[in-house]
Amino acid sequence: MAIVMIGNPNVGKSAVLSRLTDRPLLVSNYSGTSVEITATQLKSAGKTIDIYDTPGLYSMECESAEQQVINELINSQKVDLILNIVDAVNLKRNLVLTYELLELGIPMVLVINQIDRARQMGIEINCQLLSQILKCEVICFSANTGEGLMELMSLIDKGNKEGKTKDKETGQPVTIIKAEFAGNSCNGNCANCSRSFQEIDSEDLKRAGKAADTARMVTREFGTKSGSWMDKAEKIIDKPFLGTIILLFVAYLAFLALMKFIELSEGPISDLLAPVNSVLEAFILTHLPDSIFTTILAKAVPEGLIIPFTIIMPAMLMVSIIMSLIEDTGLLPRYSVVLERVGSFFGLSGQAVIPLSLGFGCRTPAVMATRILPNQQQRFIAIVLLSVVIPCAATLGILASVIATFEASLMVIMVTMIMTLIILGYVLSRIMSTEEVFIYELPPLRIPLWSNLWTKLKIRFSGFFTEVLPLLLVMSIAVRALIESGLLNHLQSIENITRMLFGIPAEAFAAVLLTIFQRYLAPLILLNLDLSAREATIAISMIALSLPCLPVMVMTVREIGFKGLAKVLAIGMSTSILVGIILNLLLP
Amino acid sequence: MKLKDLKPGQKAKVIKVDHNGNLTRRLFEIGIMPGVELNMISHHPFKGPVVFELGNATFALGQRAAAVVEVDKIESD
Repeated sequence: MAIVMIGNPNVGKSAVLSRLTDRPLLVSNYSGTSVEITATQLKSAGKTIDIYDTPGLYSMECESAEQQVINELINSQKVDLILNIVDAVNLKRNLVLTYELLELGIPMVLVINQIDRARQMGIEINCQLLSQILKCEVICFSANTGEGLMELMSLIDKGNKEGKTKDKETGQPVTIIKAEFAGNSCNGNCANCSRSFQEIDSEDLKRAGKAADTARMVTREFGTKSGSWMDKAEKIIDKPFLGTIILLFVAYLAFLALMKFIELSEGPISDLLAPVNSVLEAFILTHLPDSIFTTILAKAVPEGLIIPFTIIMPAMLMVSIIMSLIEDTGLLPRYSVVLERVGSFFGLSGQAVIPLSLGFGCRTPAVMATRILPNQQQRFIAIVLLSVVIPCAATLGILASVIATFEASLMVIMVTMIMTLIILGYVLSRIMSTEEVFIYELPPLRIPLWSNLWTKLKIRFSGFFTEVLPLLLVMSIAVRALIESGLLNHLQSIENITRMLFGIPAEAFAAVLLTIFQRYLAPLILLNLDLSAREATIAISMIALSLPCLPVMVMTVREIGFKGLAKVLAIGMSTSILVGIILNLLLP
Repeated sequence: MKLKDLKPGQKAKVIKVDHNGNLTRRLFEIGIMPGVELNMISHHPFKGPVVFELGNATFALGQRAAAVVEVDKIESD
């Protein structure tokens, strides 16, 4: 049996799904689109039920990717039941979609979610009356409290028992690709959901009228709204100045939390891994024949495991938690609103402040966090800014010590980095212009459902083991091989070029190139050289504004593919070179 | 008057949504159509978005979207 959950954004579809089962297994990605549909399985009476959670939709009439995908799912006749999730508090608008869905003729159950919140606001819905009017089953539900759960489950069981198992061999429109998009369906940007070139016709107006009438008939308002503390908090957050300060502060707190967590966990994890590494190294050396390949493996494998486990893993864990919290509390779209002006300069949604500020802690999970941005172009811009400009904590630390040693000009370096951020962001936004109309729904602030958070966390974090780690290992081996091959020693020959263009010795330039391989080593190479303050300033600027480190590259591949990575690297290298040349010309 | 000209705290009724293809449709889908009442919450500086309440939901519209909505102020007694 196959069930599809359809509803407006922010009604709590994922929360309802979490209630039905706490094991979201698969997230499917329709090839050619970026639409993610979560599929979960429920076992009942010995049969398996597939439940599909779809991204929020205001109307089936719109021509967005989401709607097309949902349409495909329904038309493929895999669907036995539609669960229309509706927001009790916004019945009038939600019912418009309901009426559209009813016209499809597929068995439907209306789940009126957030009934507890409606009650708090003094709204009572007559579910039986609504059921009579719509001629379908209606359940008053709360994902928060579990009200209506038994009723819903028994309805589903009933449908299941009536032998509606479709043969799954026929027509698999859904291919399983990545699992971390689950539960991340709505970022609040309404313009995304309702892309349509159709005018509003009389059918639409009639439906809207019917929806309004129906809503009025079944709703009863009693007493006055009791202003909960969440309402008061919302009023404060939605104030332009105060709200902006609070939101920026939260972004800063997120960055601090990330830093602290990495700091705290690095030590214990390294200690745990040290014996494992020596065992691994010894194992490889003894069991494989003596050769250059073995030496490479022996060094690369432990190396490829240390950094991911000591830094990337805790960072990814913390960022997953932070992202889920910011999404589920309803804060995310507010960033877009508050930073809309600034964001439009960079071609970015205000939400980009989250991954960018996390990038100051560690850029690998920050690249993962760019997923909250509404489209591919913005994700690319954010990833470029993260890879090329934003210095992570490790970089900052080492840069600081190198700056101190050579008495390089901190002011020049900082100004250069800020200017690069602005110019690069501006240029990219003009090249990749996405004319977006700004329409955002601001969901009510709420305390996240822990089960939802846990689900998102599990999915996001499992990606570390299944994708990041293997890729990192492979790339570590490749890199180590490159270093061992002695290719880099041939750089001496380009001493003249580096001197002329950048005013720095060839070894310093090698350090720039080496930032990919060992982010932490690169600046340290400089310490072995004898550089003037001027030379050091230029070299450090070039290092700070160049290529991302290996884990970031791996994450970038995961997000935008190898082609995307190639573009990022090209931009990084050009930026670094341009900065070097310009600084060489400008500095006295 | 236009939506963006409302002051925070003012209630208004939508009288017309300018014909703007796509935009009109999107606004319709979130519930903005002639006859509905809304409550202005705040403006963001430097021509930033306007935030308002429609029914029990809160929305933010950029200047371009807000400019398309014509409203009539409802005087509160």
